[in-house]
Amino acid sequence: MNEPVKNPDPLRRAWLTLLALSGASALVAELAGQGVDRRLIGTAILVLALMKSRVILARYLDLAAAPSWLRGFTLTLWIFGGLLLGLFLVAGA
Amino acid sequence: MSEATALDELPGELLMWVLIVSELLVFGMGLAAFLGVRLTDPAGFAEAQDHLHRTGAALNTIVLVTSGFLAALALRWREGGARRKARLALVGAAALGVVFLVIKGAEYAGKAAQGIAWDTHPFFTFYYLLTGFHAAHVVAGVVILMLVAWKDAAKNIEVAGAFWHMVDLVWVLLFPVIYLLA
Repeated sequence: MNEPVKNPDPLRRAWLTLLALSGASALVAELAGQGVDRRLIGTAILVLALMKSRVILARYLDLAAAPSWLRGFTLTLWIFGGLLLGLFLVAGA
Repeated sequence: MSEATALDELPGELLMWVLIVSELLVFGMGLAAFLGVRLTDPAGFAEAQDHLHRTGAALNTIVLVTSGFLAALALRWREGGARRKARLALVGAAALGVVFLVIKGAEYAGKAAQGIAWDTHPFFTFYYLLTGFHAAHVVAGVVILMLVAWKDAAKNIEVAGAFWHMVDLVWVLLFPVIYLLA
């Protein structure tokens, strides 16, 4: 007999979160033409990208089941994001 | 009796995680190099970036995260014994991968029509290298998803799904840096 199918809700939530974060990135990028400081826009875009990457790691790649690994990957990605942000800001955005 | 190690906590195949970390390092270094070279000519990079089709790339983000959702669902369904649904989800995920490639192809064709090539500006050298290498992974991912839709053991789907999520993960980092950071 088949086992019961696991509740897909965490996955559905992850997908909807990714769609929402992608929409937010597009909206933030649009602010560039409206006089908003490009450094702020760039920072927000990178933060949103890092949030998306964490959702993929936690739910799609199932690292939510291995919290110490999820913390490690998240920390490493945020450090990498900091490097990218530094390079972006140094260029005098 | 052997004791469990931290590596045993990782879901799925250890070698797939080695591949995921390797790919993240390669693309990560590429993105850092891109922003490093941008320091030498911020205005030129901004001007070149204005030639990109941001809407198409944003649409591709939606396509890829939705494809990843289907691939993740496929594993859940296969583990629960819903084999037919799992196979359909895998075919759907692969089809969305093809949609991604069609949009990407249209983007490249648009560049070619404007006379833009890899050597037009250093921006485009990185653009073609990074997005082209990523697109090659999408091609591989589509083939792998179709393969495991055929050979649909749960373990196969798990490994294929991990590869596909890695492709997704790389895109959500690559897209904002190449297309949006201005």
